[in-house]
Amino acid sequence: MSALTLLTYLAVLIYIITMISKVLRIKNMPIHMRWELYPVPHEKGRAHYGGSKLEEYEWWTKEHPKDHINEIKEMGSEIIALKAVWEHNKPLWIGTFPFHIGLYMLAANMALLVLAGILIIYGSSIEATAGGLEAVLYYGIYYIALIAAILGAFGSMRLMFSRIVDMGLRNHSSMSHYFNIILIGSMCVTLLFWIFADANFVSNIAGFYAGLISFGAIPELPTVAYWHIGSTLFFVAYLPFTHMTHMVLKYFSYHSVRWEDEDIKPDSKKGRQLADQLNYKVSWSAKHIDSDGSKSWGDVVSKLPEDM
Amino acid sequence: MTVIKDIKPKNISTIKDCICEIDPKDLYPLPAPYDKVEELPGFKKLNDKFKEDQVVNLDGVVIGGLPPKPKTKEEEAVHVKAFIEAVRKLFTKEDNWTFLQPLVLSMEHCAKCQSCSDMCPIYESSGGQEIYRPTFRAEVLRKVYFKYVKPGNKIFNAFQQGDIKVNWELISRLYELCYRCTLCRRCATACPISVDNGLITRELRKLFSQEMGFYTKALHEKGTVQHLQVGSSTGMNSLVVKDNIEFIDEETTDKTGIKVETQWDKSGADVLLIHNAGEILAWPDNPGAFALLLDAAGISWTMSSELLGYDGVNYGLFYDDVQYARIYARHMEIAKKLGVKKIVMGECGHQSKAMAAIGSRIDNSIPREAAMTLMREIVFSGKIKFNPDQNYFPVTLHDPCNLVRSMGIVEPQREILRYLAPKFREMYPHGVDNYCCGGGSGFAIMQQNNIADWRLQISGRKKMEQIINAFKDEDPSPDKPKYVCAPCSNCKGQIRDLLEYYGATTKNGIYYDGLVELIVNAMVDIKEPFIDFENKF
Repeated sequence: MSALTLLTYLAVLIYIITMISKVLRIKNMPIHMRWELYPVPHEKGRAHYGGSKLEEYEWWTKEHPKDHINEIKEMGSEIIALKAVWEHNKPLWIGTFPFHIGLYMLAANMALLVLAGILIIYGSSIEATAGGLEAVLYYGIYYIALIAAILGAFGSMRLMFSRIVDMGLRNHSSMSHYFNIILIGSMCVTLLFWIFADANFVSNIAGFYAGLISFGAIPELPTVAYWHIGSTLFFVAYLPFTHMTHMVLKYFSYHSVRWEDEDIKPDSKKGRQLADQLNYKVSWSAKHIDSDGSKSWGDVVSKLPEDM
Repeated sequence: MTVIKDIKPKNISTIKDCICEIDPKDLYPLPAPYDKVEELPGFKKLNDKFKEDQVVNLDGVVIGGLPPKPKTKEEEAVHVKAFIEAVRKLFTKEDNWTFLQPLVLSMEHCAKCQSCSDMCPIYESSGGQEIYRPTFRAEVLRKVYFKYVKPGNKIFNAFQQGDIKVNWELISRLYELCYRCTLCRRCATACPISVDNGLITRELRKLFSQEMGFYTKALHEKGTVQHLQVGSSTGMNSLVVKDNIEFIDEETTDKTGIKVETQWDKSGADVLLIHNAGEILAWPDNPGAFALLLDAAGISWTMSSELLGYDGVNYGLFYDDVQYARIYARHMEIAKKLGVKKIVMGECGHQSKAMAAIGSRIDNSIPREAAMTLMREIVFSGKIKFNPDQNYFPVTLHDPCNLVRSMGIVEPQREILRYLAPKFREMYPHGVDNYCCGGGSGFAIMQQNNIADWRLQISGRKKMEQIINAFKDEDPSPDKPKYVCAPCSNCKGQIRDLLEYYGATTKNGIYYDGLVELIVNAMVDIKEPFIDFENKF
């Protein structure tokens, strides 16, 4: 097993462990107060104007089935088209849309490359002339990589331009914003160079995946390929430590906060959890809270201090 | 206006004196005839003595509530330590289970794309002041959080979010800055990641109040404390409120020819009606109209004379979770003691949100309903005869943020208006895309220092523009009355002040009031118009 294989598995392991721990951290946080924001797309028949079940007379006496299809449509338009940026910051969308689509395509290509790698292990050859699935994979991998690299490279340059030129973006950008753009841009530019510099790009990159999967030998690659693989591995290991985890954790921002309108009954499991949370100790120090850290939320709410 | 256009969040602790000054000439222009800046009173000047005693270091506006500027490094260090401790507590489940998950999600995932900026009426009205950008104050807190609270390598955290120095300038400016947002959450609707800068602003207000004891007098001493101790944030005790309601009942009876008698403390009633007590003092027609309408519909209802039972206001919603929960818990106890089937909140947006949505995670044992749905039920029940022509004047609708964006109650009030107000027209944008009245999150009740100038010139500016534009196809003369329907007590207070400040009633005959007044005004059985423009206000 080569050092590159080890590094690849290490990067993937860091990614998976860190992402799982981040997801569990958010998922296991206490039930919070309702803080939904309308429109909520699962409001059947009302989402298009932002209405809710609270519009109904004695709404608690009626059933309210959720429109999950509309939720998926809403998430889909946000994830794929970056709808909110399109509506509210078009100059930025010109960069961020191709940037994100490029990244999605790179991720999708990884799935094709895993499949291609498995086929190679079983003796297939991923060639344009192979015919059948192998040929489909060949062209799929080639053109997805090419388009993704072009979109990603263009998007990165455009985003860098926006972050430098637009005062609002510039004033709120930290070093990491510029670094992230350069990193992802490098990933895409080096991929583009690899595609153009290597006549056997597809078979080499698929061979690399086959080597990873089988813990076997990795084909001899051009130098630029190592630049691409190196920047990609760094990105994979680095991403979970940045705000870019929004790609996964925005699920909770939407489903656990913005669209979370559950009417929790006191005798339900969540109702009991909420009752338990009232036993948490309060240590806020202001005089009117009247707690030295030994009183629970239930205590400070039910008993008023004499001096507030 | 001194506009430091290139200010960065980290500069909040490095700039001397005020970061900017407001000059009305630079604000977003209003349509004619409200475009003459020289006709307006301008911002109240703060004298030198005031500036010596108070901290004036943000935009020349002072919300009040800060201690004097520390005189020594040691005094400053005490504030710095308390502030960092407050931020730490904000991210613990014990101290902030109430909003921990939404806060962490908003703190750690903002991409700083600024898609939210063009949604903020304050940022836009101010002519693009950087400090009013929705992300500005959030970004300051984010930097402090990454530097002092979030686990991980400090150098890596600084690389991600940038460094910031915590000192008195940062603390005092951030405190003022969290009172330059009305918590309307319009910005949050534009965020692709669902970061909520309104939530972050509220969390800032919380940490100042709950840990450092920094709050505004209007919300705390005169607000939640008075409410909990006296029974109402208006200062009315039980005897006074009963006396006032008795007077209102008599007036309503005289005016309409229909006998009105409010029931008090009726056990087992179907409805416990809790008004924002401000209505009883400032807009007595509103509780009078409610009493008349509920009686006419044959509903079993009551009001409560218990401490807090006659005032549905909950200013804790705007700045303090503990004060919020204390008030909400007492409202629920009163309802349970009376054995009512449900609580109906009067025309008040924040009260409705505090009781119907947010409070459900504290006590969900008695159902709560906003007045809009009950009113729609009554209007379309067929129990009362209406003549919409009695409302034959132009009517537009203001959408209270707490009712529409935070609760999704958009259509009931519109269905009523489409039926009972033949000349109803929308403002644009409206519904969940509405603009805040500018008095949200407590501003409507604030008059101190020069904050009223700020809320009327800046935070209420887009609403004023919307009101003017809603009637632009009508005869502008002042003797042709036009009606802004504002079904929320706080919004009504702000719109009252806006119309007066800009002279809109005198110039163009623009009046305001609630929804229930329009309903009663359309009742066939009343002997004379319930809405009397000639003697109004």
